Amino acid sequence: MRINFLPSLLGGASLAALLTAAAPAAQADQVTLHALMEDVPETQIIESLLPEFEKETGIKVDFQKLVYSEMHDKLVTQLTSNESFYNVMEVDFLWAGEFPAAGWLADLQPFVEKSKFDLKPIIPAMLDLVGYYQQKLYLIPMYNYSMGMIYRKDLLEDAKLKAAYKEKTGKELAVPATLEDYVELSKFMKANAGVAGAAMQGQRGDPNSMEFSNYLFSAGGEYVDKDGKVVLNSDAGKKALGLYVDNIQHGVQQGALSATLDDTMRLMCDGKAFSMVTYWWMLPQIDDKAKCPNTAGKVALSVMPGGHGESGGWGWGIPQNQSPEMQEAAWKFISWVQGEKTSIARAMQGHAPVRSDTYSNAEVLKKYPYYKEAQDVVKSGKSFPIFAYSAQYEDVLGRQLSLAASGDAKPADALQEASEGLEKLLKKAGQ
Amino acid sequence: MASVTMSGNEETGLRVDRWTVTGWKFAAPGLTVLAIVMGIPLVYAVILATSSFTLLHPRVSPFVGFENFLSVMDDEYFWHSLWLTIKYSAIAVICEFLLGLGVALMLNRVVKLKAIYFAILTIPMAMSPVSVALIWHMLLQPNLGIVNELLVSAGLDGVDWLGSSNLAFWTVIFVDVWQQVSFVILILAAGLASLPKDPYEAAEVDGATDFQQFWYLTLPMLRPVATIAIIIQLINEFRTYDLVYVLTKGGPGVATDLLSFFAYKKAFLGLGINEGSATSFALLFLVLVLTIAFFRVISRRS
Repeated sequence: MRINFLPSLLGGASLAALLTAAAPAAQADQVTLHALMEDVPETQIIESLLPEFEKETGIKVDFQKLVYSEMHDKLVTQLTSNESFYNVMEVDFLWAGEFPAAGWLADLQPFVEKSKFDLKPIIPAMLDLVGYYQQKLYLIPMYNYSMGMIYRKDLLEDAKLKAAYKEKTGKELAVPATLEDYVELSKFMKANAGVAGAAMQGQRGDPNSMEFSNYLFSAGGEYVDKDGKVVLNSDAGKKALGLYVDNIQHGVQQGALSATLDDTMRLMCDGKAFSMVTYWWMLPQIDDKAKCPNTAGKVALSVMPGGHGESGGWGWGIPQNQSPEMQEAAWKFISWVQGEKTSIARAMQGHAPVRSDTYSNAEVLKKYPYYKEAQDVVKSGKSFPIFAYSAQYEDVLGRQLSLAASGDAKPADALQEASEGLEKLLKKAGQ
Repeated sequence: MASVTMSGNEETGLRVDRWTVTGWKFAAPGLTVLAIVMGIPLVYAVILATSSFTLLHPRVSPFVGFENFLSVMDDEYFWHSLWLTIKYSAIAVICEFLLGLGVALMLNRVVKLKAIYFAILTIPMAMSPVSVALIWHMLLQPNLGIVNELLVSAGLDGVDWLGSSNLAFWTVIFVDVWQQVSFVILILAAGLASLPKDPYEAAEVDGATDFQQFWYLTLPMLRPVATIAIIIQLINEFRTYDLVYVLTKGGPGVATDLLSFFAYKKAFLGLGINEGSATSFALLFLVLVLTIAFFRVISRRS
């Protein structure tokens, strides 16, 4: 028995080792890409198309969904580790300066050249906003979130409100053409229509910084001029902040200073606000009978009064701390998801395209006629300053906006501080 | 065996040494684990706080000494956050202690269904602060939240709980106290249950009133347990981060910008892990000073 025991033991162990090794080997053939995604409709649209990608390439894609405010920290933690768990990165334009500056993202130009991926259909403004950093391509634009004004058509057409507005201002009740008109209308609606004039997202940080940027661009202001000089504290900047504070103090819903995008969306959907300055692709949701019966059929989109709103977008990137094989698989996914065919399939579900050929596609326009206005919103958008400390600047600006809006600081002082904060951070970033 | 042959003093001395050595031997495994999980990160944090390490330039050299500390102290909002944190922690701990003591005294007299009361009390404590904050965020939502809905249906005006710079600070404290008070109750209730009965019997014989018994017996005897509860809660409150992150993001303005949140922003939004670490050391220093002060109070009294 002793003589037979050793070979039996060795044989058994070998068989067990073979069996256990075989299972991962079989699984290893199936490449799985992991991506951290913002929990928004755009992600759900892509998710619904993933089986097609898996069928075409054999590569599985796994999305982990999270709210926006949690994403930056989680991505940074992965990007600073030895090997990122996420193989494909969904990167907000606000981090499009920070991530390449830190050397965390791979240069995508070699992938573009090797696969002959056509960049021409991508709207140049989107490539400038979220694609290139210091003349190198680190991100492929994914979708845009340029901001415009969504408003209630039914309230503008209400006979009583029309008469009251004419009596009070001597003007016709219409879609506002300037920022002053907008704030005046917002206050009028609050006083006369039984709704908040605007659903404002005034929470400190990303919500109020993004919202204020629309006021700034509408008033003709900028953060930095063409020569890179900070010009926030200009007459236009002062006008923008004055009107922003006026509206948040007199024209909006209760609790605006702690409100986020979700809060404003719920309020608008509930029919309790006349307008909101928000991402244009919120329109189909507020116009959806099943989701928002109080506002469906009563809402419309326009470019921000004054002609310019905040431009924003997400891009796809590939982390540096990845094996070349995984980078290759990640690029296959990016080129598929941003290709013409998938872009149109996404647009048919409400995607916010970054390709001009998708906006002009007949099928898409037939289903969503307002894509024409959406394209105007995208084309006219201007950008928040993008550099290594954009995320920090959002906090610096957000703090000052919140102080001014709450009445804890004079708007002039807040603007001065916000301007100096930007200068300091740009200097720190070497710009 | 050796001690048997020695004189009294020597014998005592040897025994002390033996006990000391045995004590260290027993403590060694725990101390080793502490050194690994606390000591190494702490030393690493010192290195980061005195280096030029940022997420954009992740290198610990060159050594910059106290430069990061000075840079943090140069920020006017650091001093605001520091003062706010002291105020927040003091108010929260006082509220938790007074409420906790009141409930613990009542529970001490309860005989029936005691287990059920304690089970209910542990629920907020068992929840993560993020969940607590999310629940209260929904309840206090000014336009669609239940709390304002109830106020309005009672004919009152809705309150801007988190959007008013005057109220947000107190709202965060309220949510914090709601969650943390059960811990204080449980500790004080355990302390009350362990108090000896004899002094009370003697006091009753002497005709002491309930208040006199509470003031001259319960409070002094409960002091060590109460001090421990206060120290633990002070440390907890100084570290408050989750509630601010979910409820207010430090706003409106800077009304709830506590030091932990300030440190987080330095480290992750400003990408300055070095300055974030330096800020955390300021917090650690403050907690250490207060903890030592409280321990001194206990040892003097005892």
